[in-house]
Amino acid sequence: MARGGDNRGRLLLIILVITSLFLITLDLRGVSVIGGLKTGTQSALSPIQNVGSIVLSPVRNFFSDIIHLGRTRSEMEALREENGKLLTQLRERRSIDAQLEQLRGALDLAGKAEFKVVNARVISQGATTSFTQTITIDAGSDNGIRPNMTVINSYGLIGVVKTVYPSSALISLTSDPSFRIGVRVAGSQQIGILSGQGTRKGVLQLLDNQSTIKVGDILVARGSVNNRPFVPGVPVGEVTSVDNAAGAVTQTADVRFFANFSAISVVSVVLKGPDVDPRDSLIPAKPVPTPVPTVTVFVTPSQSPSPSPAGSD
Amino acid sequence: MPTRKISLSALLFLLVYVVQEALVTQLHIAGGGFSLFLIFALLWAALSTPDIGALTGFVAGFLIDLSQSTNGAVGQWTFVLILVGFGISYLGLGYENVRMNPFTITLLVTSSVVVARILYVLLSLLLGEKVGSFTSIITSLLIGALWSAAIVPILMPLVARAYDVIDDSRHRL
Repeated sequence: MARGGDNRGRLLLIILVITSLFLITLDLRGVSVIGGLKTGTQSALSPIQNVGSIVLSPVRNFFSDIIHLGRTRSEMEALREENGKLLTQLRERRSIDAQLEQLRGALDLAGKAEFKVVNARVISQGATTSFTQTITIDAGSDNGIRPNMTVINSYGLIGVVKTVYPSSALISLTSDPSFRIGVRVAGSQQIGILSGQGTRKGVLQLLDNQSTIKVGDILVARGSVNNRPFVPGVPVGEVTSVDNAAGAVTQTADVRFFANFSAISVVSVVLKGPDVDPRDSLIPAKPVPTPVPTVTVFVTPSQSPSPSPAGSD
Repeated sequence: MPTRKISLSALLFLLVYVVQEALVTQLHIAGGGFSLFLIFALLWAALSTPDIGALTGFVAGFLIDLSQSTNGAVGQWTFVLILVGFGISYLGLGYENVRMNPFTITLLVTSSVVVARILYVLLSLLLGEKVGSFTSIITSLLIGALWSAAIVPILMPLVARAYDVIDDSRHRL
């Protein structure tokens, strides 16, 4: 067979390439047919994803758990025997307990801030093939969810609702490279723009060149008009390093997001934000070290020196 | 046109697509994981002629574009996979020592996954989309390549068998 395609093959290739470019153009121009196709696909897949979520819930974290094995090998050896017995009992309840824990945390946060929320289970985690960070939840427009609503969990901000389907919704995570959010440094009025970087680390750029920031500063969402897309006061992350480059117009800093995006199973979508800005009241309290009791022994020397032991010269 | 071949191929592609969207995306796989559907489509293209490879790329790319986890414009993956599907089948055409050798097929498909993702990033940048930091892209590409290299040898016998069955049915027609 001759190497390469014949004229018919080349014509097919050209037609396919032109069709794909035509699709890109239509989508960028916002033609509703393309959006409808995507919505239809998601609506059709949503029930299957729900079933998959239930079926795979016991083994969902198996692959990510593998990478942590070497870290505490010696400790794990000691605990293996004990864990073996407990794991048998806990296997069936493990997934549910984790979800309950996350749900309780999210409800605590939402309750403290007086948010009206809808809780949802994560039914799909977007593959990073397209360099995007998304999740899909099992609640949609039927549950009152609309685009540009804030999504939180027990740790703070998770992301924002990007696309809504009748029974599911696509959430753009704060770690997504296209994600931008106005934040405020807790305890001060310094504001900046936090950008996702595709990992758990974000980059903060302060707006005021006179402002200073330090490692350990907590960032909270500034909030948006009518609380969409962001409700105010939600904890976002903590400053881990500050770039003090000479000559920089504004100060930048690396931020570690509070939320662990690889282990999200339950989230809350904020349907209605607070009437009053909760300010810094939602920031998680720093752990208080447990006091260790100390024993002090006082020894008072006797007035008359004791005789030296017999036999000593 | 071999209707049976097309319908069987379409059914298989839909099945793998559903498995990818409903099951693989549920697993919290280290480093962002892999796209089973992308690997499957490129394996299929590697076993095909260039025009079938391009068609495979078109169908697979369009389905990936419709996926909820794809943020880019519809048509982006279609465009990329037409070129990569055509390229991978063109490279193997006429060289049976390439097409019949599991090692070269693994190398070819793994490289194609990386090339496809690089083309996607470049196209995203051209369209003004955010793709993340350079480090995260390189990390994602490397991890994706490792996963592909691990998955392709497992998937290859199944895909080759399915391809043979469907291809034979065409000859019988």
